[in-house]
Amino acid sequence: MFIYTREAHPGENVPHHDSFERKLAGAELLREEAGIRRDILVDDLAGTVHRAYGLMPNMTWVIAQGGRIAYKADWTSAANVEAFLVRFLGGRGERPPGTTPVMYETQQIEFRYPDRKRFTDHLLRNGPLAVAEFEKAQKLWAQQGAT
Amino acid sequence: MGEAQRDAEAMYNYPHFDNYVANGGDMADEAAFWASPRAGQRAPDFTLPRLGGPGVRLSDLWRSKPLVMEFGSFT
Repeated sequence: MFIYTREAHPGENVPHHDSFERKLAGAELLREEAGIRRDILVDDLAGTVHRAYGLMPNMTWVIAQGGRIAYKADWTSAANVEAFLVRFLGGRGERPPGTTPVMYETQQIEFRYPDRKRFTDHLLRNGPLAVAEFEKAQKLWAQQGAT
Repeated sequence: MGEAQRDAEAMYNYPHFDNYVANGGDMADEAAFWASPRAGQRAPDFTLPRLGGPGVRLSDLWRSKPLVMEFGSFT
């Protein structure tokens, strides 16, 4: 299930949301152009659900049957989510007999090949402003020592 | 709709990403994530509209099986 939040990189073509109607239009565009076949739920204009779950632009949570949080990641890695689900469900769709749930936190560094062209194409779909503002942000991050 | 609600919506839906970063918005978001409910705690429950269908209560989705929730947007 996918929850549509806010446009992280608004531009001339896909601007920031100033009405719920515009937000719905953005969600429909996402479904059409990104080909998302899962259900898409649309958060309210103030981002109430997004705020409750931590405001990151591309995060994934897994909620166990019954409503307890089983997994949260501030950046979506399909491979990590899949590997977690295989372990969590034990290949049986339920908690293996005799096991006890325990919680621990992991932070990790991954090495990946950045697909800059694909990302820039996405930004361009939102508009040239989105590209220019991301480049400015990169300079800010460099000044902050974040990159 | 009150002024506070309008302000909250305007702050959340920033129009310029570089200004958002310059004002520390991305860092605040990271902090918000780590301050959010932890594994083992109850997940916040909400009812949301679904594209092309009726509204959905999250707890109805995780009642009988685990639920994977991905958050995102076009970019």
